[in-house]
Amino acid sequence: MQLPGIFRQRKYQIAFALIVFVVLLVFWKPTVLIYGVQRAGLYASIAIPMALVLGVVGILNIAHGDFMMIGAYLAYWLSVLYGSDPLVAMIPVFVAMFVAGALTYKITIKHVLDAPEFSQLLLTFGLAMILEQLANLLWTSQPRKLHVDYASSSVTIGSLSFGVFEFTNVAIAILILIALMLFLKRTRMGQAALAAGQNPRGAKLVGINVEQAYLLLFSISIAIVSAIGGLFLARHSIFPLVGSSYTMRSFALIAMAGIGNLPGILFCSLGLGVAESFIMSFKGYSGWADIVFFALILLVIIIRSIRRY
Amino acid sequence: MKNNQSIWAMMLILSILITGCVKATAEPTQVPTSVPPVEEPTKVPTKVPTEVPTAIPTEAEPIKLGVIVSLGDISGINGQNGALLAQEEINAAGGILGRPLEVIVMDDEMTPEKGAAAVEKLVTVDNVDAFVINSFSGVHMAQIPTLKKYGTVTIVTGAASHLCEEAIGTDADWYFHLHSWDYMQGQGQKAGWLAITEKYPDLEFGSVFMAYEEGAFGTASFQFSQVLFEDMATLSGESFKSAAMGGGDYSAVLEHAKAENADSFTWVGYAADALPILEQAKAINYAPPFFVGAPPGWPPDFGDSPLSEGVIAYEVWADALTEVSDVSKDFYDSYVDLYGSGPDNYLAALVYSAVHILAEGMERAGTLEADALITALEETEYVAPTMEVITFSPSMIIKHQAPLTPMIAQYQGGELEVLYPWDRATSELIYPFPSWEGR
Amino acid sequence: MVLILSIFFPIYAGAYPQRVATTIVMYATLALSWDMMFRSGQPSLSIAGFFGLGGYAAALTFLDWEINPLISIGIGSVFSFMIAFILGLVILRIRGLYFAIATMALSEIFRVIVINWHGITGGHSGKALPSAIFDGDSARIYWLFLGLAILTAIVSEIFQRSRIHFALTSIRNNEIVAKSSGIDVFKYLVVVFGLTSALQGLVGGAYVHSYAFISPEGSFHFNFVLLPVTMALFGGIYGTIGPIVGTVILGVIGEYLKLKLPYGHLLVYGVIIVIVILFMPKGIVGTVKEKLHRR
Repeated sequence: MQLPGIFRQRKYQIAFALIVFVVLLVFWKPTVLIYGVQRAGLYASIAIPMALVLGVVGILNIAHGDFMMIGAYLAYWLSVLYGSDPLVAMIPVFVAMFVAGALTYKITIKHVLDAPEFSQLLLTFGLAMILEQLANLLWTSQPRKLHVDYASSSVTIGSLSFGVFEFTNVAIAILILIALMLFLKRTRMGQAALAAGQNPRGAKLVGINVEQAYLLLFSISIAIVSAIGGLFLARHSIFPLVGSSYTMRSFALIAMAGIGNLPGILFCSLGLGVAESFIMSFKGYSGWADIVFFALILLVIIIRSIRRY
Repeated sequence: MKNNQSIWAMMLILSILITGCVKATAEPTQVPTSVPPVEEPTKVPTKVPTEVPTAIPTEAEPIKLGVIVSLGDISGINGQNGALLAQEEINAAGGILGRPLEVIVMDDEMTPEKGAAAVEKLVTVDNVDAFVINSFSGVHMAQIPTLKKYGTVTIVTGAASHLCEEAIGTDADWYFHLHSWDYMQGQGQKAGWLAITEKYPDLEFGSVFMAYEEGAFGTASFQFSQVLFEDMATLSGESFKSAAMGGGDYSAVLEHAKAENADSFTWVGYAADALPILEQAKAINYAPPFFVGAPPGWPPDFGDSPLSEGVIAYEVWADALTEVSDVSKDFYDSYVDLYGSGPDNYLAALVYSAVHILAEGMERAGTLEADALITALEETEYVAPTMEVITFSPSMIIKHQAPLTPMIAQYQGGELEVLYPWDRATSELIYPFPSWEGR
Repeated sequence: MVLILSIFFPIYAGAYPQRVATTIVMYATLALSWDMMFRSGQPSLSIAGFFGLGGYAAALTFLDWEINPLISIGIGSVFSFMIAFILGLVILRIRGLYFAIATMALSEIFRVIVINWHGITGGHSGKALPSAIFDGDSARIYWLFLGLAILTAIVSEIFQRSRIHFALTSIRNNEIVAKSSGIDVFKYLVVVFGLTSALQGLVGGAYVHSYAFISPEGSFHFNFVLLPVTMALFGGIYGTIGPIVGTVILGVIGEYLKLKLPYGHLLVYGVIIVIVILFMPKGIVGTVKEKLHRR
């Protein structure tokens, strides 16, 4: 029997299977979808700025998650001292950390751009250590949490109640993605930055200030991820080491999506988030969620490398 | 090609290095596994060091106490504070046997090698006369062979793993353990629940759902609880990844708990889980009659959240104790005078007590000589700020164990009030757990 | 000369410096073994995995068969080698980043298996050994680790001075060219992977016996990947001296800082790393070599 034309293509087969899976979930285990998507939003929001720096400037910022942690602490203290709402605090944090990111770039990153790649990594590793230890020294290892009413807001459909606040993660992730894509593709500065990333020497020849482009992108990346710290604070406890596990996850997501593929990160996050939720929804199997994480990434990487060779 | 690959390579390496940093410092493994049968005693010669003070000292040479804590963690900082507070008090009262007390603190950096190295340094370089050790089980295991080598009188205020007890063995007379072993912790909790269900007969306590973090601490707690609560309630449980380990999503566990509708919901995790798990429970509208949390410590701002109302905790120290005990109040006030704010963690009171116990033991013995000191310490009856009367008696393997009675406490109006034991109670139980409406 | 110093060192120093030195030597060995694999261009993140496997094998054979601890350490090493060899046959088809992830996944899997097999391994809490090797004598333990380090250094130098050096370097630079020059890339990679894992297993076994206990978190701790790699990068990769120098310097500085600054030492540690990299991007040894060549 011949399948209708469209289904003969691999791509569409996969898409169809996915749609069926999603529909099944909606009726069978809707929470998997809900929480999976929410989680994916958080992962993506953190991973995308990191991908920006990695893809264009070519630096893997190991301190990425730690900048989020710092942003979260800044938002926390703004809240405690001045009573501001953590989401509102995201704005001043963004501005402050943009400056901080620029400073960091000028003082450290700039100098290792020409060095062997591992030096760059060791540098950002040192930075990460500094940030973590600073936080531990200043604010101790005790976890802190703000209470905000809306963080536990929920919606009840029939007999199912679920939290809706975390959909903001998704909204923010999409926002960040669109904003960055527009910036990179439509604005002159963005295009210049892209060009600088693809071919620094060529870009310099045509008069693009590569230096500035890198500075800008790095600072934006730091600013974004720090601002996300404020959002994170509303729903999570923060402590000095809270950011590092997200760095690792972001990196794995970038690897999965492929460097430079910003929108791909969104999809990969979705896949990962839902897969994790799916595994956890079976009682007694939540310990496997971690292995699933590795397995999935490994799978994608292997498939991609097979295709390449 | 090569460039890209090695970039990737390094990138991955180092990003993972960072994850390592998380794990490296964020894993206080306190409590491991199931109750084992008693193994054959370990045959380790205990060398008794003789720090015999010659005659009456003409100049006041200090008595040195080695204190090992994890300074990278809040519990360690509190422990250090407790030790230094005790040092001050003792010296203000004339020292020990006419000599001043000198507390030397070393950080174990939460790694086994450094913990063992700390012991070596304190013995061989500083020549300490006794130890107070507040390391986690994983670190303590590495310290044990070294401690055995020297046989210095030691009070351990941490290390709950029964494996440590096995490693120490039956011959270590110099070893005093001032903390519950993992297989004991449930007993105190169970006694509390029995008493409470007796006092309030309308209470339902037939089924318990335990959400435990998937590491050694959570798994062990769950396994021991299964054994202990067997005759009292049906216990079912599920693991989750703690926020302290990069997890923090309790939706699955909470959904299953809600479906099971047990009489009591207990979570065993870390302080970072305390508020988020409540928030998620509220979001799915799950309000079990008992909401119990069993982390080793609570976040400092937990009481500030309206969600904390009615949460039950097992604690060894609560600020509320100052209302019912003068000893607690004095300790608390002195601590605040010295450090500006109250203790964050029960370890402050515990290490404080350990130092005082050692001081009293030395006074009683009249000498620092190990055998005499051990005998004197066996007579200890110390009233601690935790309102525990501390005495040492044999446990499964070792001779000198002082168990801690966990109190059953409840957050009411932002403060942690003690419910049980009755002689320490500062308030009555609020039951059932208040609904989420209006919070 | 350095060798003689390091051998006689314990006689003059007390137990505490011996302990510190033991730790440094241990990490130097791990750093060196990692570097040896890295010379082929493949970053392996399985140090902790084979360190742990070797440790568990050594401990369990010691507990169950009551053999001499040194022999059990050897068994641990052989076990690591076997597992590495078999798994290497599978995963050494993958390159670079992907290989790194694969090795990391392996370590995780080892850890999970060990935890779940608690009948044999003692699960989460692990097992205690009746006594430490040499009864905990710090000097002898130091010599044990020193011996392992010297062994690793010798193997490393053999790699550097033999055909293997050319093979690894050309594989690292351009695998296709290497293959067409007739180098059996796969064979080299598997062998090197197996050998370096065996060395890591040796160290793992020694570690377990020094502290007389095994536990999943203690033996598979991420520190055993994190620190050696950092120290190797810091000191300078692709050589024997680099990782050793890096480990010694960072180790000594770390310990010194800890004694002087009980609260901020890790912070200063991080600052030092950043500063050194800014001024010596090739790692310490790398930069020194460069300067020497320029003259």
